[in-house]
Amino acid sequence: MSETSLSKEETLIDRLKAQFPQAIKDTKIDRPLRVTVNFEKDHVLEISRFMCDELGFDHVKGVAGVDFPTQKRIEVLYFVGSYSKPEVQDLIVILKAELPRDNPTIPSVVSVWQSAHYHERETFEMFGVKFEGHPDLRKLLTQDNWEGPPPMLKDVKFPEMGQR
Amino acid sequence: MTAKPPTPPMTVNQTPQPSTLDVSVGPQHPGSGHCRILIRVDGDYIVSADPDIGYVHRGCEKIAEYRNYVSNIPHLERPNIADAIHLNWGYVLPIQELQGVEVPPRGKYISTIAAEMNRIMSHLYALAIMQGVFTGHTTIFMWAFGDRDLFIELAEMLTGARLTYSFLAPGGPRRDLPYGFEHRLLKLLDYFEKRLVEYDRIFFSNPSVVARTKGVGVLKREEAMKLGVVGPVLRASGVKYDVRKVEPYGAYSDLDFDIPTFEEGDSLARFLVRFEEMKQSVKIIRQALQKIPKGPIARKAPLVAPEGEATGRVESSRGEIAYMVMGDNSDKPYRVKIMNGSFRNLIALPFLVRNVHVADMPVIYGSLDYWPVEADR
Repeated sequence: MSETSLSKEETLIDRLKAQFPQAIKDTKIDRPLRVTVNFEKDHVLEISRFMCDELGFDHVKGVAGVDFPTQKRIEVLYFVGSYSKPEVQDLIVILKAELPRDNPTIPSVVSVWQSAHYHERETFEMFGVKFEGHPDLRKLLTQDNWEGPPPMLKDVKFPEMGQR
Repeated sequence: MTAKPPTPPMTVNQTPQPSTLDVSVGPQHPGSGHCRILIRVDGDYIVSADPDIGYVHRGCEKIAEYRNYVSNIPHLERPNIADAIHLNWGYVLPIQELQGVEVPPRGKYISTIAAEMNRIMSHLYALAIMQGVFTGHTTIFMWAFGDRDLFIELAEMLTGARLTYSFLAPGGPRRDLPYGFEHRLLKLLDYFEKRLVEYDRIFFSNPSVVARTKGVGVLKREEAMKLGVVGPVLRASGVKYDVRKVEPYGAYSDLDFDIPTFEEGDSLARFLVRFEEMKQSVKIIRQALQKIPKGPIARKAPLVAPEGEATGRVESSRGEIAYMVMGDNSDKPYRVKIMNGSFRNLIALPFLVRNVHVADMPVIYGSLDYWPVEADR
């Protein structure tokens, strides 16, 4: 494909790869307007700052955890979008980091994206992911006397709801 | 009572002073919905606020992992019964994407009509409770609720239910437009357009309402983008962002409509965005009824979704609602993530209510149109 006919998804991936050749492990265009970027978790702050300041992705739509008990990992997904740059407003970039299941920690992106504040708190509560440097990491949705493990982990089962 | 420390990044004065007092607003619904807001007041001014949510959390995302794709539809639309079609539609889109199912054009038009009717109903609810009652205006409460019921009756005619429709399944809507529906809907729209003029006279141009809302809770454009707020709250701050235009779904790419935005960013602007959106919804429904093609309404979709993940989004009445659905070759999702407008707008509340009068808090809270159940999931 020639330089001129690069889609905006490909342009975005090229810029990210050029800036972070080590930190970006894998990229994928799921379909038009959806880009998934797998990255090394320790570089989350540099990548998010670059995306916010240089590429115009100024807010986080959500932070999701996904538990893979058999593979002993927890994935953290940041759904990132843009308000300020009209040409990439329609893109959703999914930044994906893999964390070890026994000690899931990742630097917090609240200093870059303030909008991630409550989303990170929710993921901390539901998956036990510790966001280092989060200004106020405490429980949000579960009741105060909930003492079990993070409820969204796959090994927390609710047999009364059926089989999974 | 001993209050938890308020959320730091948004507060100016976190440490309790001899002159401050901590007050718990809610959760027994004194205008806070089913959530609690811990406020620290100094005299009549709010120094800082910390929303304590989760009183109506029921683990929708966890339950979704136990149910198959189709039986997830009713319970995933329950978080917001005022806006059920949009919650339903947002969930169905990524499943269709995983399965590779395309809805026929007529199905898209029917979904669009149902969604815009739902937007009017939801905005009327917001106008009645969140805007009318919270500013102490009882007349608009009665009027808007009365008119909302007319739309509810038509929604019942179309879907079979008044509020929780479970109308859209993977593949398309469940029913075609019933006989006589179009005629009744057009008649209702004629009536409703006249009512909108009266709403303007009695509520939006009412000096007492304007005095309560103008310049109250101003969210500037830059702040709105930084906080990541969405929907009418964002558009009231001057950011033209609407999923119906940004990434058109359903029949929106064929239809002509505007995205109302305001520059002021205050509570009145947020009220007016919803008011203007109702006018646009009327316009959209009229066009859709005119342009609706003939043909099948739905395609058969498999019960199983293949491995992979998909993210779909729609513009709900409270802003963009996105669902990430992860399939694993079974009939149950491996993971469903809901990203909705109420949860994303929550961050604006502690930001907006600091350094305002206690009496202004209900107005600001109402202008955000925060739906606690949707945020808690």
